[in-house]
Parts: sequence; C-alpha cells; structure tokens
Amino acid sequence: MKLALTELRRRPGRFATATVILSLIAVLLMFLGGLLDGLIANSTGAIRAQQADVIVYSDTAQASFVRSRIEPDVRATVEAVPGVTEVGGLGNVQLGGRVPGNGPRDLASVVLFGYEIAPDGVPEPPPAGQAYADDTLEADGVEVGMTILLGPARSPIEVVGFVSDTNFAGQSGMWASVDTWRTVLSENRPDAQLAEGVFQALVVRGDTSDDTSLTDAIDAATDGATDSYTIDEAISAIPGVESQTTTFNQIIGVTLVIALVVIALFFALLTVERTSLYGVLKALGAKSSTIFAGLVVQAVVVTAIAATFAGALVVVLDLLIPPGSIPLLVTPSRVISSVVLLLASAVIGCAFSLRRVLRIDPASAIGTTS
Amino acid sequence: MFLALKEMARAKVRFALLIAAIALLVFLILFQQSLQNGLITGFIGAIRDQNAPVLVYSVDGQRVLQGSVITPEMEAQVRSAPGVGEVGPIGQGTFTGSPSGNDDGETFDTTIIGYELGPDGDGIGAPSTVVDGRLPMADDEAVVSDADVQLGYGIGDTVTLLPGGKQITVVGVALDVQLNVSPTLFVSYDTYLDAIASVNPDAGAPLPNVLGVVPADGVSDEEVVESINAQSLELDALTRDDAAAETPGVAQVQQSFNIIFLLYGLVVPCVTGLFFLIITFQKANSLTLLRAIGAPAGRLVSSLLIQVGIIICAGLLLGTLLYYPVSQQTLGGLALRFETGAVIFWSVLLLTLGLASSLVAARRVLRIDPIEATTGQGVGT
Repeated sequence: MKLALTELRRRPGRFATATVILSLIAVLLMFLGGLLDGLIANSTGAIRAQQADVIVYSDTAQASFVRSRIEPDVRATVEAVPGVTEVGGLGNVQLGGRVPGNGPRDLASVVLFGYEIAPDGVPEPPPAGQAYADDTLEADGVEVGMTILLGPARSPIEVVGFVSDTNFAGQSGMWASVDTWRTVLSENRPDAQLAEGVFQALVVRGDTSDDTSLTDAIDAATDGATDSYTIDEAISAIPGVESQTTTFNQIIGVTLVIALVVIALFFALLTVERTSLYGVLKALGAKSSTIFAGLVVQAVVVTAIAATFAGALVVVLDLLIPPGSIPLLVTPSRVISSVVLLLASAVIGCAFSLRRVLRIDPASAIGTTS
Repeated sequence: MFLALKEMARAKVRFALLIAAIALLVFLILFQQSLQNGLITGFIGAIRDQNAPVLVYSVDGQRVLQGSVITPEMEAQVRSAPGVGEVGPIGQGTFTGSPSGNDDGETFDTTIIGYELGPDGDGIGAPSTVVDGRLPMADDEAVVSDADVQLGYGIGDTVTLLPGGKQITVVGVALDVQLNVSPTLFVSYDTYLDAIASVNPDAGAPLPNVLGVVPADGVSDEEVVESINAQSLELDALTRDDAAAETPGVAQVQQSFNIIFLLYGLVVPCVTGLFFLIITFQKANSLTLLRAIGAPAGRLVSSLLIQVGIIICAGLLLGTLLYYPVSQQTLGGLALRFETGAVIFWSVLLLTLGLASSLVAARRVLRIDPIEATTGQGVGT
C-alpha cells in the first residue's frame, strides 16, 4: 500500500490524464444530479413543505390544483372521517408579478397560494392583501414591505416576510390567506374562479401512522368524489416529476458505468505495464492481495482527487449560473452520494485487474527486465 | 494495417473495453439528443407547428399560452396596429381527458387549443401539417398530435372531458403539435369555451389567451411584431419561431443539455487519447526496435491512426445500435425519434476529436530515434 502511495506521490504525471477524465465524469454526475435536484425542488417545494399527512384533490383532477374543485359538502365529509384530526383548504393561482423598480415587461413568475394550515417554515396566514414570499423572489428585486401587483388585474399584494423552499411548478411561491387568494383568482382568472367555500385541494392531518389507510378511508367516505395522496405520492404525481427522476437516474447510472469502464481500462493498462514489476514483487514475497490492494488504493485516491476537484467546480458553477437560468441545485447530499458512487465504481473497475494480478507468476521475474 | 489489426486481435479485452466506453458515451449523447428534441417538441410543438405567423400574448402571460389573457381593449389595439392583416383568438386550457381508444380506460392531462375555424377548418392557429384525416370543420371535432394516437386518441375516437362529460371526436392527426408534453386537441374556439364551462360551473366567460395574427400583404412578420408592440406595453407580440423559442423553460432545457453534451463530448477524445498514449508508452521498446530494423515512422503512425479510427468507428456503430431501439420508445409521454442528423454530426465530431487526441501518441512515435534500440531506451523514457 505504501508502494502505491509512493508511486502516486513520485509520479503524479502518470495518473494526471486519468484524473482529468474522471474529473470530467464526476462533474457530469454532479451536474446531472444537481440539475435533477434543481428541477424537482423548483417544482415540489410547496408540497414538500406541507405539514400534513394527506392532500385531497377532486376525483378527476389528476392531482392538478387548477382542475380540482372540493365543494364544502365534500370537505365536511372528509372532516368526519375517523382518524382525521385537522383539515385545511389550499389553492393556488399562477400569475406574473410586477415588482416596483423593474421594467414594465420584466415580470416575476409567481404562484400565489391561499392556505389555512401553515406549511413548514411559513407563519400563520397574514391579513388580507399581504403574503409571505419565497426568498427566490429576492433575485427579482422583491423586498419586505414592497407591494407587488399580480396578474393583469394588478392585484396588490404586500410582502410581509420571506420563506424558503416553497416554489411550485418552477415558479416562486407567495403565501396568503384564502380570502386573498380567492380575490386574486377571481380578479385575474375569471375562468378559474371558485365560489365561497370551494377549494382546489384539502390538506389533512390524521392521528394514524399509516397515511395510505387514511387516503383510502377519505376516498371511500366521499364515495370516490376525491382522489387522495400521501405527501410523497402528491409530489410524484406532479407532472414530470417521476419521468424526470427516472430518466435522469438512468443517465446517471450509465455515466457511472462509463466511469467504471474508464477506471477498469486505465488500471488494466497499468497492470499490463507493471506485470514484470509485480513478478519481482511476488518473487520477493509480496502477496497478490497486497498488490491488488495497492491498485485499489491508487484508484480510490485518483477518484477522490477527481471527485474533490469536480465537487469544487460544480459549486463554482452553481455560484456563477445566474438565478432563473439553469435550474441547478448543488446539495451536500448530492455531492457526497456522487463521490461515494464514483468510489464504488473505482473499486469495482479495479477488480477487472485482479485476475491479471493473480495470474502473475513469480518465476517470470527471473530473467526479465522492467 | 496488418500490424494494427494483429495487435488488436491479440489484446481483445483492452480494445473491447475502450470500444465499450466509447459506445456507452455515444449512446448517452444520442439518447440525450433525442430527449432534448423530444422534450422541446412535446413542450412547444403546438406553438411552432401552427399556422399563425405572429402570436400576441399579454405581458402578464410571460409567454405562457395558458397564462396570457387578452382583454377586449388589447384586442382592439392589435386590430388597429398598422400592418395587421387578419386576427384570430386562440384559447388554451388543460383538462382531464378520457380517450375512448384507450383500452385500459386511462385518463390523461389533455391540452385543448381553440381557434376560430375558417374554410375547411383552416383558421388562424390551426395545425400546419395534418398527416392523417382532416382539420375540424365543426364544433366538438378535433385534430390531435401524432404522438397521442398510441394513447388512444386515434381518428374516430371520442375524448370525454372530466368532470362534465363533454365529448370531442378526433377527426385528424397533425405532426408534432403537442403542448406541455401532454395529449393536445385542436378544436373550434366555441368547443374550447364549452369545455371550460363544462368542467367549472363557477367559471366566468374566458377571454382569449393569445391572438394569432397574419400580417397584411407586403408586411413582414417582424414588422408587424414591432408595430403591435409599439401599441401598448401590455402587448407582447412574437413571431411564431420566437414564441416557441422563448416559452419559459425552453432556453433552460437547451442550456442544460448543451453543458451535458460538452462534457460528454470532451470525455470521448480524452479517453481515446489516454488509452493510445499509454499503449504507445507500453510498446515503446517494440516500436524503437521496429524503427531500428527499417520500419518508417509514417507506417507506425498510420498503424496507430488506423487503430484509433477502427476503435472510434466501432464505438460509434455500437453506440448507434444501442440508441436505435431506445429512440423508438415513448418516455413518459415524450415521443423519442431517431435523429439521423445528430448521428452524423456526432460521428464526424467524435471521430475528428478522437483522431486529434491520438496525435499526442503519434508525436511520441515520430520522436523515436532508432539508435535508442542499441541503448535499450524507448519512447517511454
């Protein structure tokens, strides 16, 4: 093992190109992962933030707020379901927001939520005409105390504070009382307005540990008039979330296989090059396992250096990319998981050289030159 | 040539691993190219492949069809703008649709785009290329996108909108006219209004989402865009191509994929270059000996380049073979397509880059001094 590390220290140039290639692959992995995380976070923040067990839509809504209508009698039925402890109405409307100081054609993308049960990190509903804004709106110049004009009707909404990670469908969340939401909805989207007491969805808290049984109980109680989801199911049901996750994970998987093949190729070539040296080492008493361990150590070190460099590069990239362009989200968990996967690929890739190391005959050391 | 092939035959695993790596990279690049094109077509095909040369949004709509609302005042401003020929309202909504052609009784998010039917159904905002059947000529008839047929939206099928139960009959299929990667129906404007009323009894009278504009004779699309935008800061007129390209999300998708393509594109020549550089180092003594017994440097270099060419071509071929069946699939409602142009582009680019990357190894070969055969030194030293 010492020998492997000494070689790395004394002849770094030999490993430089492989490190560069692995760095590129590591950047790819982290960038792809960051892109996936960014897309998902931007689409699902508002649902993830719900401090509830179940979200209830109407039966034909396909988990879409815009197409869902929950009438007051359905709400009453849901409230009466055994195990349900609290029910709150929820609705949203997606509009352009005019921010003071910005150009007349420079609008912020906003999704205004009306809520009764406060999501995680969002205070209780503010008075009419006020809202909490997601901090991503700061990039559009929004400040606390500012009044934003929403939609073609220029509905005024005063920002009374910022909240985090509450975006929905790629738009910045704003959180207001249901009355404010209903007013803004009818002023700006007359074709989507809802009567008093009607909501797009309900968030439900229960006293059971099994959220799935609660969704079943609610849908059964409403005689199929509702379509209920656990929070995780509701996140997956947002259009595009599942297919994006599956596709990106497949691409990441194949990229990992490429990393594995590159490492296997590089260390197979190194092993071929050192066959006679390994023969000498074996003749001097070195075990195959020791030689192979040295290869693994070198692969792990090279991969770790590449991954560290890539991690730093992706963080810099994240800082350089202007808000609102590429939806990249670099999280420690994504970087760490990418590094771990790459290291695992390095070890597996190295294993391709094991057979060659085992086959080296110490007798071959006699009469050979390196 | 003989030397190059002989060496490859004797070190099959090494060369096979390199071919596998290149093939996987080529597969990923081509697959993602299809994914990008499919995503963009599915996302904005209905805008790109409809017949209105200019679309007018409200600024509040932020270039999203469903987000835009055109008030009567705005419509009057558009109609009075110099250079405007014909104007037609276009409305868009997303509904839950149950197509009768779906054997499993599945329901889908279904986009409905309403436009005023002209003669033979060819009004402003109609799909450009009908590949089967005909355009709608009456209310409750629709043209669908070709990608939707397999979901049960075939000609003769009826689509029931839920709730409300309004039924629309499919009478034609158009090429690449999906919106928001969901089944898309082009219907008469009145059918669109009826659809909104059927699913939401509380709904007020919907206004058009955008206006389709045909410039007057002798006026270009760009001129009419300028003329309409000069009318009001509330109006956002765009040519058809600009409206498609500037739909929120399209530029981000392209930027993201461009970075991914750049990185994958760099990995291929790096892997190839590294491989042949190491191989050249390993063969140093043999190459020196070959030079000493009279083998010209040009022959050794050509042997190297033949190997590089064969390896990359094999990788390209294998990668394309892997890509072909995948490109025939539908991915989450996204119709992928075999991109012949992309195959040719990437093949030429990767072959060129691969050969260029092997020049480092070739330079090493050219630097071999035959006299070193007498000292035991080679290019690796």
